[in-house]
Amino acid sequence: MCKLNSNYLVILVITFLLVSCKKSSETTNANADKDKELIQKALEIHSRVLTLDTHADTPLRMIQPGFDLSEKHDPKETGSKVDYPRMKEGGLDGIFFATFVAQDIRDDDGHGRAKNLCLQMIDSIITSTKRNADEVGLALNPDDAYSLEKQGKRAIYIGIENGYPVGNDISNVGLYFEKGVRYITLVHSANNDLADSATDPNGPEHDGLSDFGSEVVKEMNRLGIMVDVSHGSDSLFYDAISVSKAPIIASHSNARVVTKHDRNMSDEMLKLMAENGGVVQLTMLADYLRQAPPNKERDSAVAALRANMKPFGQMTLEEQTAARKAFEELNTKYPAPPATLKHVGDHIDHIVKVAGIDHVGIGCDFDGGGGIEGVFDASEVMNITIELVRRGYTEEEIEKIWGGNLIRVFKEVQEVAKKIQAEETT
Amino acid sequence: MIMLRLFVFIILCWTTNSLKAHPLKLSLCEIEYSSKKQKLTINLKLFLTDVNEAIVFDPNSNELAFCQPNESAKANQLLLNYLNRFFYVKVNNTLVELKIKNKNLKGEGDNTALWVYFEYNQSTPLKSLEVKNAVFTDLFFDQNNIVYVHVDEKSKSLMLDKKKSVHELKF
Repeated sequence: MCKLNSNYLVILVITFLLVSCKKSSETTNANADKDKELIQKALEIHSRVLTLDTHADTPLRMIQPGFDLSEKHDPKETGSKVDYPRMKEGGLDGIFFATFVAQDIRDDDGHGRAKNLCLQMIDSIITSTKRNADEVGLALNPDDAYSLEKQGKRAIYIGIENGYPVGNDISNVGLYFEKGVRYITLVHSANNDLADSATDPNGPEHDGLSDFGSEVVKEMNRLGIMVDVSHGSDSLFYDAISVSKAPIIASHSNARVVTKHDRNMSDEMLKLMAENGGVVQLTMLADYLRQAPPNKERDSAVAALRANMKPFGQMTLEEQTAARKAFEELNTKYPAPPATLKHVGDHIDHIVKVAGIDHVGIGCDFDGGGGIEGVFDASEVMNITIELVRRGYTEEEIEKIWGGNLIRVFKEVQEVAKKIQAEETT
Repeated sequence: MIMLRLFVFIILCWTTNSLKAHPLKLSLCEIEYSSKKQKLTINLKLFLTDVNEAIVFDPNSNELAFCQPNESAKANQLLLNYLNRFFYVKVNNTLVELKIKNKNLKGEGDNTALWVYFEYNQSTPLKSLEVKNAVFTDLFFDQNNIVYVHVDEKSKSLMLDKKKSVHELKF
C-alpha cells in the first residue's frame, strides 16, 4: 500500500512537472513571439525614420595608412567602429565625422600646425565621399540627409571637435565653413583660446567663453555653423547659450543626474537647452552612461597574482610575457560589468522627462571611445530603436530622437544665419 | 532557439570582454625636424596609467614614481626597455637610438600623461622617416597611436595601431 502510494505520488509529481513545463514553455513561446513582433516593429520604424549620429571620430581612422572606409572592418581586430558597409548594415543614414586635432602649444606655430592637420582631415573626408559616391554623399545642408536617404546613400556631414584649429584667427571659421564644416565643438579636454573645458586639470581660464570665443560664436551664427558645447565647462554652456543667436547643440553628452560626470549636463542645463530650442545628443561612452560598479572578484584575483610575482625589473622577457598573459586571463575571467542599452534608455527617459522629447538625439562617439554592449559599432545602432520601442516610444518620438530634432536645430541655425546676413546687406 | 541563445551568449561574452578596460586607448607622438636648427625631436605623450600597466602590471602603481622626487633609479631604463620593443624612428634608414633628454607629467588623475622627450642633431637633410608605434598594443587590442610629423613648415598626421604599426614617409 505504502509502495502503491509512493508510486502514485511519483506519477503525480511527474504529471505536475510536465504540465508546469508545458505551461512555462507556452508562456516562454508567447513572450518570445511578442518580443519577435516588437523587434520587427522596431526594425521597420528604424528603416523608415532618418537615423543621424552627430559624433564619430572616424577621421582619426582615415589618417591610418591603408584604412579604407568602403571596406568592412572587424571591430574586434583594432576597435574600428564605423565604415560604410557597417553603416548600411546598422541602418545608419547619416553621420557627422568630427575632425579632431590633439591640442598642443597655444601659440602661432601650434595653431598653424593644428589648422594644417585639420584641413588635411577634412580633405580626407571629402576625398572619401567622392571615391564612394555610389554609397555616400557629402552633406552640407539639413535637407541633404533626406535627399541622400531617398537615393539610398549615407549622408556624411563634417564637424570639428575642438576649436583649437581656429587658433586666434576669426577668418578660419569662414574657411572651415567653406570646406563643409557644419558644427564646431568649442573646446575639448583642455582649455583653448576660445573657451574653458569641463576637464582641464588647471581649472577655468576664461570663466566660460573668452572674448575671442564670443566672437567665434557670433561668426558661427553668421555663417550657419552649429555651436557645440560638449566637453565645455558649465560656465561655457551658460555663456554660449547667452551669446548665441541660434539654438545650440551638445553633440555627445549625457544627463548628470543619471550619471555623475563633469562632461554630463545638469537638469538646470537640460531645461535651459529646452528653452533655447537646442538638442542634447546622447553618447554611447560607458563612463558617461553609468558609474562603473566595483569588480571585487577581479581585484582580489589581481592582488593575489601580483603578490606572487617577481619584481618586474628581475623578470626575463619570457616571464614578462607569461605574466601579461596571466593578467589577460583574469580580465577575461572577471570582465568589468558593461554599459548597456538599459543605461542608454535611462538617460533618454531622463532627458525627455526634464527637457522634453524635442531636445534629445544620438551622438554615439564611435572611434572616440563610444561603443557599449548592444551598440558596439555602427552595425548595431538599430538596437537603440529596439530599446526605445520596448520603452513605449512612438514612431513620431523615435523620429525626433534619431534625427528630427537635430535637423530642426540645424535648419534654425541656417535661418538665423540668413537673417544676420540679410541685416548686414541692408 | 538554442542556437540563437548560444549566439547571443557568444556575442555577449565577446562584447563584455571587449569593454574590459578604458573607453579610449590613445597615445600621441610628435616628431619634428627643423632644417634651420638641424634638429630632430621626438615627443611621446603616454597615459601614465598605461605606462604603469605596461611596465609593472599595475595602472595605479607608484613604484617607479615617474618625475617625482622619489623616482625609481630603474624607471628610465624600464621605460626604454619597453619603448625599444614597441617604438622606433628611422631617419634616412638609420635607427635613432632612444635616449631620454627630458620627461614630465601633465594633467591629473586618470588623465595624467607622461611626456617623454628625445632630441638629436640632424645635419643631413631628411629624405625618409620610418616610424613604428605599437605602444600598448600588447595591452589593448584597440590602442590607437597618433603620430604628427612636422618637417619645417609641413605637417602630416598618421594613426598607427596593432594591425598597421609601421609607416614610412618620404621627403
